Amino acid sequence: MILVRIDNRLIHGQIIETWLPFTGANHVIVANDGLANDVLQQEIMSLAIPQTIESYFINVDRLSEKIEQIQFINDAQGIVVLFSSCPDAKRAFDSGFAFDNLNIGNVHYSPGKKQVSPSVALSDEDERCLRQLTRKGVELDFRCVPNDPVQVRF
Amino acid sequence: MAAKCESRDKTFVGVVLVTHGAFGETLLAAAKTVLGPQDNCQAIGVDVNIGVDETMEAIRSAIRSVENGKGVLALTDLFGGSPTTMSLSLMKSENLEVITGVNLPMVVATLQARLLPLNELAEKAKDAGQQGIKVAGAMLRKKTKK
Repeated sequence: MILVRIDNRLIHGQIIETWLPFTGANHVIVANDGLANDVLQQEIMSLAIPQTIESYFINVDRLSEKIEQIQFINDAQGIVVLFSSCPDAKRAFDSGFAFDNLNIGNVHYSPGKKQVSPSVALSDEDERCLRQLTRKGVELDFRCVPNDPVQVRF
Repeated sequence: MAAKCESRDKTFVGVVLVTHGAFGETLLAAAKTVLGPQDNCQAIGVDVNIGVDETMEAIRSAIRSVENGKGVLALTDLFGGSPTTMSLSLMKSENLEVITGVNLPMVVATLQARLLPLNELAEKAKDAGQQGIKVAGAMLRKKTKK
């Protein structure tokens, strides 16, 4: 199972306490260009990840290559993929990382964005990216944590 | 502001509580109920609806406002949560120690021992936080059985 999620906080309490146990994943991939080049921030983010879970910090464009590599290894029970933004998710999809479901967890508010759920506020560009993904068959799921009701807002 | 103060109290370690939501603020208020008014301590709540950069700046300015030259101890809630990771990110630029799992015994002990150097204060805070957790009912039962 692969959970693909947009969360502007990337790895944080909700991931460690709820999504990792819920999915049973033993791999977490943070696809973020900024973090891929920031070793200190990587250390900070992965400090509290249980030792049984492998974490990776990679450039968005390298995602499909990385997934293939991990799936080749037999012990991949599940993978959580994290993006910090809608454009990053769209970019990964376009560069060959095909996914069927996209969980939109936290996209913080800033002026000019439209609040679509308590934890998600979308800019025009975000909305464009998500619509393009839905046209390609991706189902959107606006859950912050696993036991939130599945809400479709598009 | 310019008034000179001879009190040695001006040199104690600053304390910030960085938590999810209003937890830290309420916890600090509870500690003040126990100890009375306290200087150089602040609580910052992390709100998921506010951007990471903005929140980081709020934490940074809270740290700087309680800094008295002896460093600052950040008490955070969940190891791995964003209040903790954001605080850790500020260790680059601030004289800061970060300790997770904040509870009332930890806050009370910390505020009372702030003349200690930062590293010793952090150890004391950890011990107090851990020792404050007891199955008190069982302790009482054991005592009353004797």
